[in-house]
Amino acid sequence: MLGPDVTWYLSVSAILFSIGALGVLLRRSPLIVLLSLEIMLNSCNLALIAFSRRNGESAGQVFAIAVMAVAASEVVVGLGLIVAMSRRKLPLDVDRLTTLRG
Amino acid sequence: MGNVVVWIVWLAAAFGCLGSGLAVVSFQNPFYSALALIGNLGSLAVLYLLLSAEFVAAAQVLVYAGAVMVMFLFVIAYLGGEADAPWAGGPSWQVLAAVCAAAAILTEIVVAIGQAAGGRLTHEAELNRGFGSPAAIGRLFLTDHLLAFEVTSIVLLAAAVGGVILGHHSRVDEERRARA
Amino acid sequence: MIWGSWLCLLSPLAGVLAITLAGTAISRRTAGVLATLSTTIAFGGAVWAFVDLVGRSGAERSRLDTSWTWLGADGLHFGLSILVDPLSVFMMLVVSGVGSLIVGYSIGYMDGDDEERRYFAYMALFVFSMLLLVQGGNLLLLLVGWGLVGLSSYLLIGFHQERPSAIAAAKKAFIMNAFGDATFALALFLLILHAKSIGFGALGEVHGTTANLVALGLLGGAVAKSAQLPLHTWLPDAMEGPTPVSALIHAATMVTAGVYLVVRCHEVFELAPKIEDLAAILGALTLLMAGLIALVQTDIKRVIAYSTMSQIGYMFLGAGLGAYANGMFHLMTHAFFKALLFLAAGIVIHALAGEQDMRNMGGLRRLMPATYWFFSIGALALVGLPPFAGFFSKDSLLAATLDGGWLGWLLWSAGIVGTFLTGLYTYRMLFLVFHGDLSPYAREHHHTHHGKEGPATMVWPVAVLAVLSLVGGWIQFAPFWTPVSDFLGDVAEPLVEAHGWQELLSSVLAPVVGLLGVGLAWWLYGARRVAVPRLGFAQRVLERKLYWDELYDWVFYRPAAFVSRAWLRWIERPVIGGSAVGLALGARESGELVSETQTGYLRTYALALAAGLAVLVVVFISVK
Repeated sequence: MLGPDVTWYLSVSAILFSIGALGVLLRRSPLIVLLSLEIMLNSCNLALIAFSRRNGESAGQVFAIAVMAVAASEVVVGLGLIVAMSRRKLPLDVDRLTTLRG
Repeated sequence: MGNVVVWIVWLAAAFGCLGSGLAVVSFQNPFYSALALIGNLGSLAVLYLLLSAEFVAAAQVLVYAGAVMVMFLFVIAYLGGEADAPWAGGPSWQVLAAVCAAAAILTEIVVAIGQAAGGRLTHEAELNRGFGSPAAIGRLFLTDHLLAFEVTSIVLLAAAVGGVILGHHSRVDEERRARA
Repeated sequence: MIWGSWLCLLSPLAGVLAITLAGTAISRRTAGVLATLSTTIAFGGAVWAFVDLVGRSGAERSRLDTSWTWLGADGLHFGLSILVDPLSVFMMLVVSGVGSLIVGYSIGYMDGDDEERRYFAYMALFVFSMLLLVQGGNLLLLLVGWGLVGLSSYLLIGFHQERPSAIAAAKKAFIMNAFGDATFALALFLLILHAKSIGFGALGEVHGTTANLVALGLLGGAVAKSAQLPLHTWLPDAMEGPTPVSALIHAATMVTAGVYLVVRCHEVFELAPKIEDLAAILGALTLLMAGLIALVQTDIKRVIAYSTMSQIGYMFLGAGLGAYANGMFHLMTHAFFKALLFLAAGIVIHALAGEQDMRNMGGLRRLMPATYWFFSIGALALVGLPPFAGFFSKDSLLAATLDGGWLGWLLWSAGIVGTFLTGLYTYRMLFLVFHGDLSPYAREHHHTHHGKEGPATMVWPVAVLAVLSLVGGWIQFAPFWTPVSDFLGDVAEPLVEAHGWQELLSSVLAPVVGLLGVGLAWWLYGARRVAVPRLGFAQRVLERKLYWDELYDWVFYRPAAFVSRAWLRWIERPVIGGSAVGLALGARESGELVSETQTGYLRTYALALAAGLAVLVVVFISVK
């Protein structure tokens, strides 16, 4: 294989995953949280594609496409929630939405 | 010669990927975050191409960067994303704990894969001609992974219905608002 | 015989249940009538049993009838059994006879009280308990009756619940009796341990130290119940109860239960002669002490109470030396004249609207002649002058003690001194209340009951008792004619019997000494010729009842109160209360701690997810 071998791709995937996790854990705006979630999903996709290349199986790529479809659906629902929230004049701040507080 | 070019392209794509990822997480303005994500998705597509997954790369650009991100941008434009202090709020130990958790996950992934795979990761398989082509993917979708294919379509349907419901204006509310 | 006894026992129980269950559906007078009826039927049953018993002879005269086996364990069987023999029939007659007279009297005395029904229920309960006590076929059933009698006494002393003094007196009586009950129970345990049974036959099967301990335990119970030294302090306070209660429980029947116990258990006392002597000595000491204290009392009921204590001392003296039948005979005559005195005093109290202080009375002879005569009969019987009942019983008892060796002589002389004191305090009481000029208080407060001295229900029982106090002694005139001693002799053979000259000496000396006491009382209180000597120190000591109450206060009450306060402060509040509170607080605090994880922040929950993931990965990697 030309270029770096699979381990390099996997490292990129791992780092990207952590960056996405940091974003989910630290940002307050739900929109940014969704974006960070997308980053995490994409890092998983990269790992899947890398392993598919390593093993010569196309099943990894098929899996990646399914993940993409599911991610798209999730984004639809998430954004719908956010729009509904803003329409009901709720603050778009995860720290202020504490109805579940025990 | 070809190897060097691939390496250069790889490095550019990788750094682009990571840099835009960081940008998504750290920008205050959500609009800029979304744009950074588009950059991220583009870099990922390049990486997929390098891994001989042409169809997935194309789908990534079309679906993700083309459709999902456009939707994001529409919503951000509609909501008028505010610029607020991104790291503030929450319990004081949140930041530290979050960093630690993320670092722990990173370390563990590395360790786990390193342990499980050992030295075998470097031996890539030989590819046949049609690897990563639409024909190969299509054949798999319609034979080995037919169930996944069908179920995914149901998930998409559910999401569509959910989106419609979430976006639905209640007629009573409208009339009340019109009368007031 | 058996049927009569069961009828006698169960009739008052039926009375209690009827009155209790009927509640306010019956009028107050009906409750009284029901109670009287139940006790009269009991008396009828007793008479039936008596008649039947007399018709038999010898061993036929004793029957143990078990209706139901109550407990059976490891060779030990207790039954719900009654013992019908001369002694128990004797007691049944006295208890139910005098009892029904007094309950009938109560109808008039308690008329108008709001809680009359409760009173009559308690009275019927008492009569049932006392009958159970005397009819009990084994020691356990006797103990049941013993305890119930104590309960009824508590309930009736504290009948006027709104008076704190009455409640305190009831508690005092119950606690002192509980002490006696405890020693009684310990004696029973010893008996079970050594003789493997608690029928009356078991009493003959213990020896040596065990017999001494058993007898001592039984004596403890008897002393508490009969208000002898040293457990006597509750009896004067028990006068807080209504007068008929004092008459029935604290004169005629309950306090004599101790004497009955000694006679019934004479076998074990004979096996422990030192304890029997102790009983006699306690009796003698009590009779002297009570006689002295009675000299300075100002409350008419308290004089009669101390007189009761003294007379029971005589009975203990007799029973302790072995003159069982004499003791029981004196019990019977004492029941007559003591109840008479109490009830007559009750008529006086009733007429003076509740006044009991003798210093406020005087000259009532003119206003209440019939009561005066009844009272005098009782007084004469008490002092022991012929031909009244007391002479035949007390003096023959004293005569019998002369047969008891040097101790008998010693105690006899105490008894003679006691006779002097009896004459003195009894007639002091009579002269203060009935003789002299009409006191201003009496002038103001005396009221008649529709022109008569008292209601018919009060006067008739008093009259009957007066007749009995007169003729009741005539059924035995030792040593010529002794049906009572013969009757009871089968059950308890006397250890001492007066011989010829002893009888004569005693029977002459005692009444003479009694008359001397009466004479002194006349001199001091009747004719008022000499001022009552004021012996300052002696007077004070006697008025404080020889400081027994203060002694018990210091020895028992204060240490107990101190210990319980210390326990409350140092152990109960911090340790027990604290641990309960601590548990609750701990639960709440841990709950609050846990609830802090529910922050409501999305980010914290996400962090929890991430951290959990990190931990799980480690687990999965390390655990292959």
